[in-house]
Amino acid sequence: MKNNVKIIRITQSITQQQLAKRVGVTRQTIGLIEKGEYNPSLQLCIAIAKELNKTLNDLFWEVK
Amino acid sequence: MKSWISFLLPNDEYKKKRMLYFFSEGSIILLLTLVGMSILNNYIDIKTEVSLLLAIAIFLSYISGRYIISGMEYTDVVTEGAYRKELKHIFVRTGGFASIFMLLYLVVTGIPNSQSEWIEIIALLLSVSLLWFITSYISLKRSYKKNKELL
Repeated sequence: MKNNVKIIRITQSITQQQLAKRVGVTRQTIGLIEKGEYNPSLQLCIAIAKELNKTLNDLFWEVK
Repeated sequence: MKSWISFLLPNDEYKKKRMLYFFSEGSIILLLTLVGMSILNNYIDIKTEVSLLLAIAIFLSYISGRYIISGMEYTDVVTEGAYRKELKHIFVRTGGFASIFMLLYLVVTGIPNSQSEWIEIIALLLSVSLLWFITSYISLKRSYKKNKELL
């Protein structure tokens, strides 16, 4: 699933490692989500959205 | 989701999901192996001990093999420095394992009496340590490669 997590994370100057630690997953999982190679659970999507101060729409809704 | 198998699974949700797949695949392969062996048993006499050990070995090696190849053991190894540091840890861990194994063997069974017994124990120790090192090394190498691709 394509998404905006990487772009938004970089604009906020947060590393993969920092985001991973804050949402309670591994750095690899964040990398996989950003590459669209892993579809996170709704719970994790919400945790990421909260950490990045964005809505689920901003991060995950129909990214082209 | 509550299940008794949770204690065998990691906390990270990606790793948890992958591990569940590995366990499920391993179980299906184990089932097929057992069915195959029970059919084969009509034509060849397979010892119970052999068939049981074979079934356990197939199940465990499948899950371990998939885990090692998946490259998800060392999730934070991204830089060359971290890779070298982890490689050193693997060396130390293997050395520590070999020392403890040897010490426990000598305590439990006593000092070997003959040269052949010494050769036997040292060969066993070297094989197990080498296997441990190689599997850890492959896992690290695969993890490092995967992590770099995800940057």
